[in-house]
Order: sequence, then structure tokens, then C-alpha cells
Amino acid sequence: MAFTTKAANCHDNSAALNKKSKEIKRPVIALIGMPNSGKTTLFNALTGSNFKTSNYPGATVEYSMGKLMEKYDFDSDIMDSPGIISLNPSSPDEEVTINGLFNHPKFGLPDVVIVTCDCTQLSRQLFLVKQVIDTGFKTIVALTMNDLLAKKDFEISLDKLKSILKVPAVRVNGSKREGIQELARQAEELYADKSIPNYKASIHKLDHPTEADVAKLYDYTEDTERNVIEHLSHKLDIDEINKKNFHTLSRKPDKNSMRLDKIFLHPVWGILIFIISMGIIFTSIFWIAQPLMDIIDTGFSGLAELISSSLPEGTWYSDLITNGLINGFGSVMVFVPQIVILFILLGLLEDTGYLARAAMLIDKPLTKFGLNGRSFIPMLSGYACAIPAIMAARTISNRRERFLTIMVIPLMSCSARLPVYALLLAFLVPPDKPWIAGIGMGALYLFSIIAGAFTAGVISKFKKTNEKSTFMLELPPYRIPVFRNILKNTYYKALVYVKQAGPIIIVISLVLWALTYFPNVDPVLPESKKSGHSEEQVSRMLESERLSTSYGATVGKYVLEPILKPLGWDWRIGVSLISAFAAREVFVSAMAITFNITEEGDDGDNIQKSLLTTMQGAKTDSGASLFTTASTISLIIYFMFAMQCLSTVAVARKETASWKIPLLQIVIYTVMAYVLAFITYNGLNLLGIQ
Amino acid sequence: MNNITVEIPQISGKSVAELGIGETALITSVGDDCLDIHCHCLRLMELGFTPGQEVTVVAKSPFKDPLAVSVRGTIIALRTSEAECIKISTNGIYN
Repeated sequence: MAFTTKAANCHDNSAALNKKSKEIKRPVIALIGMPNSGKTTLFNALTGSNFKTSNYPGATVEYSMGKLMEKYDFDSDIMDSPGIISLNPSSPDEEVTINGLFNHPKFGLPDVVIVTCDCTQLSRQLFLVKQVIDTGFKTIVALTMNDLLAKKDFEISLDKLKSILKVPAVRVNGSKREGIQELARQAEELYADKSIPNYKASIHKLDHPTEADVAKLYDYTEDTERNVIEHLSHKLDIDEINKKNFHTLSRKPDKNSMRLDKIFLHPVWGILIFIISMGIIFTSIFWIAQPLMDIIDTGFSGLAELISSSLPEGTWYSDLITNGLINGFGSVMVFVPQIVILFILLGLLEDTGYLARAAMLIDKPLTKFGLNGRSFIPMLSGYACAIPAIMAARTISNRRERFLTIMVIPLMSCSARLPVYALLLAFLVPPDKPWIAGIGMGALYLFSIIAGAFTAGVISKFKKTNEKSTFMLELPPYRIPVFRNILKNTYYKALVYVKQAGPIIIVISLVLWALTYFPNVDPVLPESKKSGHSEEQVSRMLESERLSTSYGATVGKYVLEPILKPLGWDWRIGVSLISAFAAREVFVSAMAITFNITEEGDDGDNIQKSLLTTMQGAKTDSGASLFTTASTISLIIYFMFAMQCLSTVAVARKETASWKIPLLQIVIYTVMAYVLAFITYNGLNLLGIQ
Repeated sequence: MNNITVEIPQISGKSVAELGIGETALITSVGDDCLDIHCHCLRLMELGFTPGQEVTVVAKSPFKDPLAVSVRGTIIALRTSEAECIKISTNGIYN
């Protein structure tokens, strides 16, 4: 298996963790376990809210580090990691986890390892437990889901399990905070245990197992299961449960899940539920977030007005603060509602266990385009932001499918495009019929899926491979989600977005402001032009003069305009497009800067409304309307395809450990965007639509 | 490749992929006669599909692929091509 990305992944994580490295070295407890074994719940119980994480729904793709809660009285760090099946990795995120366990760049080897073990699938989960013990780690087994096993009328004898495995074992219930104190005590005791001289030197990686090794290990776990599992109430007749029946009884999956799967994976109902749930997600991103976004938008323009009225008029720093800084900051914050809503909904779907089923339902159609059912969650996250989405693609074990998923994620209609589409659609649609804009938005979302599938299909036709595609995804039991954990998770995700995208967007806003403000800071108008105009009109003319003689205008007029003219755009749109490379949404605030001060604009209640008025009045050099139906639609088409996001390029480079994918993305998508916008604009003009 | 076969009388050549929804059978071998060198049979075994285990097809997705198969207390979604690597004994099939 060739995972060239492993070094890069490992490195990224160390860089993230290195920030914290200045602290005093505490004992490190690593938490590992199979997917859905209750590991994350246990991690939350151990650390309380005191943890830092940089991961996203769909997969715990990066480490979370937290400090053990003080009430447990053992000063130590807890390291959470993605779920793994075995210590023999078969996907990049398993590789990350396993490398981190044996060779963590910052922490080295953990002092103690806690392995979570879902006791309703004991024979399966002991597999990883036994592997960890065999490597020589100081191991504690944390038995989870004891209540579910009790429902089946079984329990596990702790004493027997401890004597067979020869390591401590504790029953825990993460969500009820039971057994956590005992687990912390055992960890401290084990940490203090010096009976093994040079303990860390004795730890060794396991050899790549053969199929015979796996079978042998399972024989061991089955034997262990048979010995430790006990009947709780002895209600059943002992003769009735002969040896074989006894353990097969305990190995029946959750009954409710099997029943629910008959509906959720039903050929008709399953598809219907899938379509409805995805529909709810997309409509709520748009409809629920919109009022919240308006509030933020109005709030920031109000703030800008307030500050500009309290600062001396006409000074450069007053302009810098209102037009540069506050505008820039507002364009970062305006997406937070969408990101929060998407991550809450994704979190809910994931916690209930439905998301894995959704991936299964969509696997077959996606394979037609060279993708995988596992591509589904990253692609869905791509509707919020391509950055976490590309990182979530680590769960795809097949290298080619993973790269193809990363390749098409930028085509998914991310939330940064929403304000751009919202502005342009609002311009196209008559104000008394806003529902048309809603339908238009839906169509754009749908079209982005089709464009992504089509692109993936074409690329996969060009690039053949021998590497076999696999799916193999565990479907966790259906559960009632813990809302508190989802909210906490969402909070961290929004924070990561603001921290990651925020600074770059603000910097570009400032650069753009400077480009449109300098060098002609105090423009001079001849008296003849000024006469007969009010003071306000003169001040507007001065601003217009300043902009049209600015650095930005010079670059725009001589470099951008010749390129963009065939698409029906002028240099001001060009400058806005360039600034949108920071992030697509910057386009809106850049348009506000480049247009608001050149055209008559009313001082409306928010940026969008006054911008719309401005756009309606905008003229080209020849005096024709700049924003026609044709040129506005061609702008929308351009935004659907163009790789207008430097952060995405950076993340794609990091995640694929090469420039190949990000460069391909820039070239292919920019060319596609330009050509399609050209065809749209000129095609519409030919049809007589201006 | 080392393939493990448990001695169960009726080796049928049938695989999990051929089971209907709700049908249960015993695994006889995993990755036998698997000609594909890139096969992920080892991962299938690590997931718990080992000879002698009982498997049940819980559901099939609308396109009949992948299938949801229960093994060792959990449900795992597998593609038909993956399920074909898991051979079952005929005498064990029951509802």
C-alpha cells in the first residue's frame, strides 16, 4: 500500500501540537479504540470542556489534546485519536493514529494507553486490545456499553478479564460519568509502576500480520470472551444455552438497529429519507442562516457608520477603519451562522448513526464517477467549507479515490459562495418575487453536485489504476445524540474557521483598501467641475477621482479589463475577483469598496441593499449598463467553477503532500470557469438576452 | 497468500454476496481463490469476518450494493465484490 501522505500528515499534527509544547511535561495518556467504541464520549468525560481540537465531522482526523480534569487528581494530558480497527493501518487516518502512538514527534511514546472496548462486541474489540497489550504498552482496558450488554442479560466478569489479559480493566459510562474516577486512579497507579525496568524501550511495533495471525488472534479473543462473559440473571435454562448458543447470543447486533435499518436502508423508503434529510440540510443552511446573516451584516454596517461619524471626516484612517477593517471583519463573521448550522446538523446525523448509512446508500452511484461512499461525508462538508472537507477525506483508504474526492471538493457550493450568489441572484430577480432566488439557489446547489460528479467521472476515465477500491464501513447502532457534545464540537469548528480564514480575509481587505485609496490621497478637481454641485456630490466626485487614479484602477484597467471584457465585466469586477482569492465571500465586500464610492449609492440599511442600487446604476466606459442579465449570470457561472480560494489550495497541498492536485485544480477550474463564463455571456447575448 | 479454511463438511463455493436479506450462514473461508493481489481480505478478517463466524445479511442498499452484514455483534457495510471473498457453507443457511 502506498500512502505517500503519511509523513506530511504526521508532520502537520506535530506542528499543531508544538504550539503547546512550552508547557511543563506531564504524563501522557493515549486514548485509542475501534470506531464507535465510545472513545470520544470517554475523552469528553475525562477532560471536561478543557480540550483543544482541530477536527471535523465525519472523522476525528486529528489529535485532540486535553488535560485530565482536576477533580480526578492526576496531573496528566489525554491524547485522543481517530478510531482504528487494528494496529496494521489501511487508511491515512489510521496511519496517523498508529504513527502518533509509536512515534509521536512531540510526546514520544505515551506513558499509559487506555483502550476502549465495546463489550457488546467483545470478541471483535478485544482484537485491538490484545494487539496493544502485545506491543508492550502499559495498557488499561476501558469497558464501554455495559448497560447495552446488561439489556441482553449478560455481563463481563472484570476479575476474569483482568487475570486473562494481565492488565487492569475498568467499566466506564462516559455520558453518565461513571467509572471515570476509577479509570484515572488506575492510570496513575500504572504510571507510577516502575516494576518494568526501561519500560518504554521494550515497546515494539507489531509485524505486518498474515491472515493466519489474524485468525489466531481471533481464536484468542473468542476464548477470552467465552471465559469472561456471564449470564446476568440466569433466567434462561442452562441446558438451553449450550456453549455455542451462549456466545452467539451475546454476539447478536442491537435489535433496534436491525429493525430501523429495514426502513432506513429500504429500497424505496431509504432513498426517500435520504433525499428528504439532505434537502432539510441544504434548505436550513439557506433559510435559517439567512436572517442571522442579515443581522450580522446590518450590525457591521451600523458599526461602520457609527465609527465613521465619530472620526474626523475625509481622513485616511477613518476610511481605513470603516471601509477596510470593519468591512473585512464583517465578511468573515457573516458565514458563522451557516457553518454553525451545517456542523450542528452533520453532528446530529453522525451521532444518531445515520451518516454511515447515508454513505452506504450513496456508495454505488458514487463509484460510477470513480468516487467512494466514504467521499460522501467530505463532499457534504464541502458545502460548508472546503478546508475541513479536504481534511475529512483522510478516511478514504484508496489513494486515488481520496485524491479524486479532494479534487472535486472545491466544486461543492461552499458557504463562501452563498453571499456572492445571494447578491447576484437578488440582482437578477425582481424584488417582489424572492422565491425565485430560492429556487435559483437550489438549482445552483444541485448543479454543483452534477458538475462535481461529471468532473470526477472525466478525470477517472483519464487516470486508470490497479489499486482496488474498498468500502467496508461499520454501521454503528442508532443512538439518541448528545446535544451538548455536538454543540461543543460545533463551537470549536466555528472557532477554527474564524481563526484560519479570518486573518487572511482581513489582510486582503486591507491590501485592497490600500490599492484603491493610494497614491492620489487628496485628489484635486478643477473649479469648473465643482460648480453647481452640492457638497456631498463633490465629496463623491473626489472619492471617484481617487479611485480611478489609484494603483488598483491602473492594474485593473490595463491588465484585467482586456482579459475580462469578453465576459462582459470591467476592471472593477476584476479587482473584486482578485481580492476574492482570499476567500470567495470577499468578492461582496470588495464590490462594495470598488463600486460604492464610484457610483451614486443611497445610504440604505445594509451593505447588500445599497450595493444592489449601486450595481443597477453601474455603467461601462461606453455608457451601457455593466450588470446585465447576461454578465451577471456569467459571473455566477464563473464562481461555480473558479478555484477562488487560496486557503483551499494550501490545504490541498498539505493533504496530498504534493503540488500536483492544487495546481491541477487551479489550472483546470480557472480555465473551465473562464470558458464557461465566456460561453454563457456570449451565448445569452446571441439569444438576445442582454 | 495464506488462506485459512476451517473444516466444515459442505464447502459450497457460495459467498455472502449470494445470501438474501435476513439469511444467516457460517463462514468457511475468507479470500480463498481470490485472484486479485490487491484484495483487502486481511482487513475483512481484521473486521471480524473469520472462518467459523456466523454472518447475517441485515439489509441491502437500493442498488443491491453495498450490503449490510452483521458479524460479532456489529453491522458492517460491504460491497458485493468484498462480500464475494467471504465464502459460506450451504448447510448453514437459515432465516
